[in-house]
This record gives sequence, C-alpha cells and structure tokens, in this order.
Amino acid sequence: EVAGAPGAPLDVYCLDANKDYVIVSWKQPAVDGGSSILGYFVDRCEVGTSHWVQCNDTPVKFARFPVTGLVEGRSYIFRVRAVNHVGISRPSRISEPVAALDPSDRARLKGIPLAPWTGQIIVTEEEPAEGVVPGQPTELTVTEATKNYVVLSWKPPGQRGHEGIMYYIEKCVAGTENWQRVNPEIPVKSPRFALFDLAEGKSYRFRVRSANSAGIGEPSEATEFTEVTDKLDIPKPPHH
Amino acid sequence: EDRPRVSKVKVFSVSEGKHAKFRCYVTGKPKPEIIWRKDGRLIAPGRRHLLYEDREGYFILKVLYCKQQDNGLYACAASNAAGQTLSSVLLNVKEPHIKFK
Repeated sequence: EVAGAPGAPLDVYCLDANKDYVIVSWKQPAVDGGSSILGYFVDRCEVGTSHWVQCNDTPVKFARFPVTGLVEGRSYIFRVRAVNHVGISRPSRISEPVAALDPSDRARLKGIPLAPWTGQIIVTEEEPAEGVVPGQPTELTVTEATKNYVVLSWKPPGQRGHEGIMYYIEKCVAGTENWQRVNPEIPVKSPRFALFDLAEGKSYRFRVRSANSAGIGEPSEATEFTEVTDKLDIPKPPHH
Repeated sequence: EDRPRVSKVKVFSVSEGKHAKFRCYVTGKPKPEIIWRKDGRLIAPGRRHLLYEDREGYFILKVLYCKQQDNGLYACAASNAAGQTLSSVLLNVKEPHIKFK
C-alpha cells in the first residue's frame, strides 16, 4: 500500500449482464489519499480460477464499465482499483459472481430441474473418544420477559464436540435448587428459546446445556432471577 | 437399478468398535431427497446410526461402534422430480487383533 494512494473502491456490483458483456459499477473510495482520483482499473476473474485479468489498459473515469471478452455461460467476479497521481489503491472487495448469459437463458437455466448426482462416498474411521460432549453455552441472557413468556438466547459453546449440536433448557424457581428441564423430549437446534409455561408471580433462573450424540454437557452459567409478573409488560419510560 | 456392479464398488475398512463416517456430496434441483440403505434396506436414524447434512452440504451417515453385523453394501440414494441416482461403498469391519503369547 502506497502512502497517498487512494482507498479501495466500494460496493462493486453488476448492473447488467449479457452473454457479450457485464456492466460493472462501484462507489468511489471514502478517501482519495490527498490528490484527486484519476480513474479506475477493473479486474475480472473466472469463478473457480485465481487468475485476475485487468480489463482496461487506461484508467476509466466513470464509475461504471462494460467488461467484454467473456466466455458465454461462465461466471465471473470483479474487483476495482482506484488511481491517483501517487499510485494505485488496493483492490476493492470482490463482487458477487455473475454469469455471462442473456437474461432469458439465465431464467431458463434457473427453472430447469437437474437430476440428482451423487459423488463417491468416502468412509473415514473415527475414534469413539472423538465423540466429545460439547462444552457449556455462553452469554446466556433473557432477551425478553413478559407474564406470558420469556425468551432466552445464548452463544454456542467454544468446545463443540462433533457435529449436530443441540440444547436443553432448564429452569429453577427462586428459593430452590431444583433445576427442571423445560424441553426434556425435544432438544432445540437454534441458540434461542421461548418458554411459555411459567407461573405468574414467581421468579426463575435459567440455564442451558449443549448436547450431541456423545451426551449432554455441563450447564451454562445461570441467568439472574427473572420475575414473571404483569409489570414486565409495561415498557420502560423513555427518559430517566 | 439398485444393485451396482460389485467390481466397481470401493471398499473401506474400519476397525471394530470404531465409528464409520460415510460422506457423500449430492447435487440436483430441486434439492434431492436422500436416503441411506444398507444391503438394500433403509437405514433409520437410531442410537448407532446418525444421519445429517454437514455444514459444507455433504450428507453424512455415521455408524457408531462398528460391529461385524455392520459389514455390507451402503448406498446413498438421491431423488428429485428430475430423476434419481445413488452411490455405493462396501464397509469392511476389521476384527480386533488378538495377541497370543
């Protein structure tokens, strides 16, 4: 990166795609490096390769450029570099891939059912010891609480064990250490859960355990007490 | 044709007592339905058989704590509105070595 060179152009995207050309557009960089931008270079790369080709020999001034010389049906990604008197910027982030196809062909291809294809099955041996029980979920919080329901959310454990992580939620009424599993039959797969069957007027703490085929892990840190009352329905005043 | 020529089928060996993980990549549109079979019989998910799709989009069958009875021809069959296909492998469960003095 050259000091005084412009920043990288932003938001590179394709305005229009055909079998003959793709019109690439972008936004000017946030910083010009101190001297005004003279123009841009557009680079293309065929998806599946790592070979970047510069599309224009001299910088283009306008932030829009029709890229030609594409092979029909192939997909391309694009990036743009800005130029000033000092030098050339780093390349922008790459665009989404776009296929060099006429819109009608693109629509037709999208709708065509494709018969299934299955690859060679690869079998690997795994040590049963690798069947590690996942660790504790973290950052368990009550994201919403009303007299009718409480919503919990948490982060997956760092120590994941093997694939297929699931969660069990537990609740505990204030004044007891009697943790009860809320969903003993159906583990949940997403890191959030809404509990409905809570007794109004009681305070609860919650915690979550991860599970996989190897077993059920240690519980997360328990939440603070959450009281299930009407007053939780009342929104907080907007000002202090 | 649910019976591929055995000469073309790859053989994989795992040791008895270990897990065997079968990994198969499947394409198709609409997304194909996948079933796993062993010797022609449907494999249902259970305590020793895990079936899932991994994060990279591979279909996985995991046979836990392999026994001699797990020897056989495993097939991953995919079907959608446009057709059907399958891939197969043979699993060979190696008996543990018994050391004689």
